[in-house]
Amino acid sequence: MRAIPTLKISISGVRGVVGDSLTPALLTRFAQAFGTYAGSGTIIVGRDTRTSGEMVRQAVFAGLLSSGCRPIDLDVCPVPTVQLAVRERRAQGGIAITASHNPAEWNALKFIGDDGLFLGSGPARELLDIYHQGEYLKVPGPAMRSVERMDGALDLHIRAILDAVGPLPRSTSRLRVGLDACNGAGSLVSPRLLEALGADVVSINTTPDGLFPRPAEPLPENLTALCDLVRAERCDLGFAQDMDADRLAVVDRTGRPIGEDYTLVLSAWYVLRATPGVVVANLSTSAALDDVAARFGSRVLRTKIGEANVTERMRAEKAVIGGEGNGGVIYPRINFGRDSLVGMALILHLLSASGRTLIDLLSELPSYRLIKTKLECPSSSIPGVLRMLKREYRSFPLDSRDGVKVTLPSGWFLVRGSNTEPIVRIVAEAGSDEDAQRIVDEVFARVKSTVDSR
Amino acid sequence: MRPLKIGISGVRGIVGETFTPELIVSFAQAFATYLDCGRVLVGRDTRPSGPMVRSAVISGLLAAGCEVVDLDICPTPSLQLAVRALGAQGGISITGGHNPLGWNALKFVRADGLYLNATQAEELLDIVHQGEFEKAPWSRIRTSVGGHDPIGPHIDRLRAAFDVQAIRARRFRVAVDCCNGACARLSPQWLEALGCTVLAINDDSSAPFPHRPEPKPETMAQLKAVVRAGGADLGFAHDADGERIGLVTAEGTALSEERTLTLAVAIALAQRAGPVVTNISTTRAIDDVAARYGAPVVRTPVGQSYISEAMLEHDAVLGGEGNGGVAVPRVLCSHDAASAQGLILEAMARTGDTLAELLRDLPEYAMVKHDIGVKPSVLYSRLQDFRDEVEASHPGADLSDGIKVSLEDGWVHVRASQTESLIRIIAEATTETRARDLVEWARDRVGSS
Repeated sequence: MRAIPTLKISISGVRGVVGDSLTPALLTRFAQAFGTYAGSGTIIVGRDTRTSGEMVRQAVFAGLLSSGCRPIDLDVCPVPTVQLAVRERRAQGGIAITASHNPAEWNALKFIGDDGLFLGSGPARELLDIYHQGEYLKVPGPAMRSVERMDGALDLHIRAILDAVGPLPRSTSRLRVGLDACNGAGSLVSPRLLEALGADVVSINTTPDGLFPRPAEPLPENLTALCDLVRAERCDLGFAQDMDADRLAVVDRTGRPIGEDYTLVLSAWYVLRATPGVVVANLSTSAALDDVAARFGSRVLRTKIGEANVTERMRAEKAVIGGEGNGGVIYPRINFGRDSLVGMALILHLLSASGRTLIDLLSELPSYRLIKTKLECPSSSIPGVLRMLKREYRSFPLDSRDGVKVTLPSGWFLVRGSNTEPIVRIVAEAGSDEDAQRIVDEVFARVKSTVDSR
Repeated sequence: MRPLKIGISGVRGIVGETFTPELIVSFAQAFATYLDCGRVLVGRDTRPSGPMVRSAVISGLLAAGCEVVDLDICPTPSLQLAVRALGAQGGISITGGHNPLGWNALKFVRADGLYLNATQAEELLDIVHQGEFEKAPWSRIRTSVGGHDPIGPHIDRLRAAFDVQAIRARRFRVAVDCCNGACARLSPQWLEALGCTVLAINDDSSAPFPHRPEPKPETMAQLKAVVRAGGADLGFAHDADGERIGLVTAEGTALSEERTLTLAVAIALAQRAGPVVTNISTTRAIDDVAARYGAPVVRTPVGQSYISEAMLEHDAVLGGEGNGGVAVPRVLCSHDAASAQGLILEAMARTGDTLAELLRDLPEYAMVKHDIGVKPSVLYSRLQDFRDEVEASHPGADLSDGIKVSLEDGWVHVRASQTESLIRIIAEATTETRARDLVEWARDRVGSS
């Protein structure tokens, strides 16, 4: 049996294809469910620049108003700005309208609690129950509120970052930054933040029209325009964002993408220099993070995949920084959520404070090569695959909290079933391309024969 | 059963009960599908549920691929005129009309600025029920909502339709009760354009209705006081969306809403004799006035779209209903309170008469109304039984909309309410006693609740 490939309702929210399954009726019901869950009250609403944003936003407003909420509209802004505004305005929650890295035809609702965090699995299940029960809070017409517009949310975010990390020192020479905002939610705020920090900015793709100039994921293969810009404009480095400005990728001065894993590594480097402490990351984040943490006598705690898992652990452990290997930096002094703007500020500070280039800094770390692949696998076969891996690799350190992660002498790999598609994902990392590829090939072959034998 | 009424006049219900965002979104998508998308205008009255309904409507229209122009708070006739002026495919007016504050409704306007007729409303309902709507892919969906202010163009059209010079010369003092509704801008601005000194009350569109938004004598106490205290030449009372209008004379007398149309007909026919259109439930005084000019009266079922259609078909000089709705065809073949204001002030200016003098020799009948609350499950069978009985006893009865029995000295009309689960009985006669007798006669046969 196959799920409808254009709609996914899960504890991470509701995601679907516009013009297909993501209808205004579905969206307005979800907004009513969230308004019911939040017990009316103030709800912050923001969106990325997707072409369907206005349609989705209006459906969300209707649902929130119907359930007695007071929606506060930030319009186009990064997801972390919504999270920040939830806390600043002491709101009961927030809705971020964005399908992050999904292609242009997708959109989604992501739900934020009164603490500014995405709903954890418990609250998210409660919300889904309310949605499915279909009994939503309804206020009578005369008691209904209207939508309020909040101006200055972007300034609020910039100020919060400047308050936390300060502008770049004036004594050092100005850094020249290339920026690719993917015509997304970072288009307006990112150049302003970089200038406020004291950097020179040359930017591309900062027209917030939702027309994707490149695939939204800031993967190396999608960043050729930024790489050209960095070289042509003789930038010190380049930054690339995704559609909702939660993920960040970095390009060095030679125009080479350093890999999105290193975004968190560099950010942690700057934070740990001044404040050693706990770092939290998920199981599939590069071991380079452990190397940086070790330099400052700090340690990395690993969690299951999923932003909520990382943030929950960060709070429990009072982590100084955390995030994900996909370019998601979480700096708790600003927000318990991935924030590309914070990532830019931390990395620029690292360069400025060390007075060194990116290439120079990275040369101090052992080199790693991370490879990701996937293969088709019916969900019924996944338990068998995981059992096989535990048996085959029982002599190595093994973590089975989320799929199976095995640490080998030459590197590590992680195999897990996807929540959204009938596939298993394989991630492997080693010190060289050859070693990483060897691990992937070996694991891939074993998984495939297990799947095929069923 | 909680009230939700889906019919020829659109879809209306109580917000927080039956009039839900899902329902509104479906109707907006269905309407967009019906129109084959294109440009659609959206306006609303001042009800607090307006922003919710508006968001749901806009979302549904956008999802179907429409270009949406949001007129925000504006009278329904201003939206109707703007649909034509902007070459739109249609419009949706969000207004509960004369219903209480807790209600709201969608009224559907087609490309010529008039409401969908009965057949078109049926077609729209079929699309709603089929649930298969137009869906725009990401590459075609509109990314923003446009805006337009229809008040200025509405006033321009009114200026061209009435003798502004003559009215300005009289420097009328006019009291107006905007009911904190959609007329709060249009009405005072239009009256000022006519050179009037305007004494406006309840002209804050952010405040709740000060009274039921129905221009009847019982809601006009405040306006009467302002007319007297302010020494006004007359007073105008508005509903929530600028369709119906009620009148107060300089002496402080509030007129029955039936009188608004009688007066408008007399004024229009004095200018040019021709067909007049009204519904079968409106006062017989219309026939008396029309007879003086040898003008025919066309009677339609109750509902604005019937009036508009018949006005076009018969090239009428005026149309309207006994609820205070007046349609002046040189402005719009649909109810427009501002047109009624222009028509009445123009007549006062040209004749030099006061409002009371204009009304002086117009016939007036006694009208008695009675509602019977009936369970929805038996409402139509009760009406059918009554109809069968009347068909046998009164072969000439009018069965075009409910059952209307006309007699020498009066008439009685029995029909289902369009908005609530009620049977409405309306009788009119030369005396109130006789009108009451007619109501009782019908009530005895329909049965009490």
